[in-house]
Amino acid sequence: MRLLSLIVAVALPTWAQTTCPTRSSWPTDAWPVNLVDSTAKAAQVKTLEDYAFTLTGADAERLGLRTDALLIIKGGVIKYERYGRGYGPTNRHISWSVAKSITSGLVGAAVLHGALSIDDSICAYLPEYSGKVCDIKVKDPITFGTGLDWQEGYEHSSYQTSSVISMFFGVGHRDQLKHILTHRFYATPGTGWRYSTGDAELAATVAKRALEAKVGPNPFWTVLFDKIGMSNVIVEEDAKGAVLGGSHVFATARDFARFGYLFLNDGCWNGERLLPQGWVAQSTTVSALFKASAGSNVVTPAGYSWWLNQAVPEHGMPKPWPDVPGDAYTADGHWGQFIVVVPSEDVVIMRLGDDRNDAVDLNRLISYSLEVVR
Amino acid sequence: MKRWLALGALALLVSCADVNGTPRTFANSDLELAVGNGARMGCSCMYVMQMSESYCRAWILATPDVARVSFDATAKTAEAAAFVSWAAKARYVDDQHGCVLE
Repeated sequence: MRLLSLIVAVALPTWAQTTCPTRSSWPTDAWPVNLVDSTAKAAQVKTLEDYAFTLTGADAERLGLRTDALLIIKGGVIKYERYGRGYGPTNRHISWSVAKSITSGLVGAAVLHGALSIDDSICAYLPEYSGKVCDIKVKDPITFGTGLDWQEGYEHSSYQTSSVISMFFGVGHRDQLKHILTHRFYATPGTGWRYSTGDAELAATVAKRALEAKVGPNPFWTVLFDKIGMSNVIVEEDAKGAVLGGSHVFATARDFARFGYLFLNDGCWNGERLLPQGWVAQSTTVSALFKASAGSNVVTPAGYSWWLNQAVPEHGMPKPWPDVPGDAYTADGHWGQFIVVVPSEDVVIMRLGDDRNDAVDLNRLISYSLEVVR
Repeated sequence: MKRWLALGALALLVSCADVNGTPRTFANSDLELAVGNGARMGCSCMYVMQMSESYCRAWILATPDVARVSFDATAKTAEAAAFVSWAAKARYVDDQHGCVLE
């Protein structure tokens, strides 16, 4: 009897940690829809829509917030859904840097499948490269820690000094991996934090190569997208097969929300673990590298390419969204793309937009959204 | 000899400037970037996002606005040109990989 108690005492916590969340249904084929009572929630919906859907000026002026889609999912059910500016539920939308969080999830899926370890050298999967770049480990690009002297910059910065613009449209576009890995190092890999689309693209390409060897062609669909019903997702590549996993993932709002729902459910889907035990927790914990070396210009702390509503005393950083629960985290893309996960409220918020000269105040967007479904 | 010394000194200065924080510069002309943007993003907008041509033409507008973009809906391509010698083409690959800039 004592032995049995001992076994239970040891095994139960382990089982509890490794088991997947139970849900009455999973939105693999379709999301259940049960919209909030528009009368009972009229004031909350108005506050949200006045903020998110009020357009400024003529469309060509590209002013203010320009929301293309806004979904709020609570308890696995769509409670609010609205589209704007010509978008609808069947249109794919560009992710921009939301892709970085998706890529970090794909690296997790590769770990689960035994295709790679985050402590491996990237050169284990990129045998055409040698030298100092082989000091970069798989975990470095998903924590923005390759040490490559990447110059992130978009349309409002100098085109000629932007590593990103050069990679997409300029001298780097035909062989983007080479473009990334021929940047000089400003820091030893694993010792410096710098936001980089190049890092994310490197991680995505490594994950693809590693998974292809394990599960065959189009591995992202095999190990993840098909399993969670992201049936409309497109992941663009360059002409040599480098994965544009820092920017050019396209999906419908409902499909992007599925990715958020996967994270809300600890990397599990319908009883199957798709990400390693602890991966979501690690992804949503401020990384040691961020604490050690993120610059003072960074305002939102990061884990594995997710952005966290957590204070970082080491940098004197308060919670970035003070009116939002402290366990909230987001995938965050240029022009206002967001997947927001709020575990304590069992909520996923998906917002797509085309904000060219303004930035969404996430504190307002998230808190207004939560009020609609509380 | 003097010329080599001068070149060496110049190289050293450039090198020091880089170390001291001068951003690296890429050999892109604005025209090359404009046609690359027009072709790649135009292709993605039309065939991946499946938005209307008028929407896509507005969506891909960039500064400087010099790229003339044309779409071939049958071949699922987008081509952009600027002045005489600058051109780029993107094509839709398939429903998993979207568009690629050639």
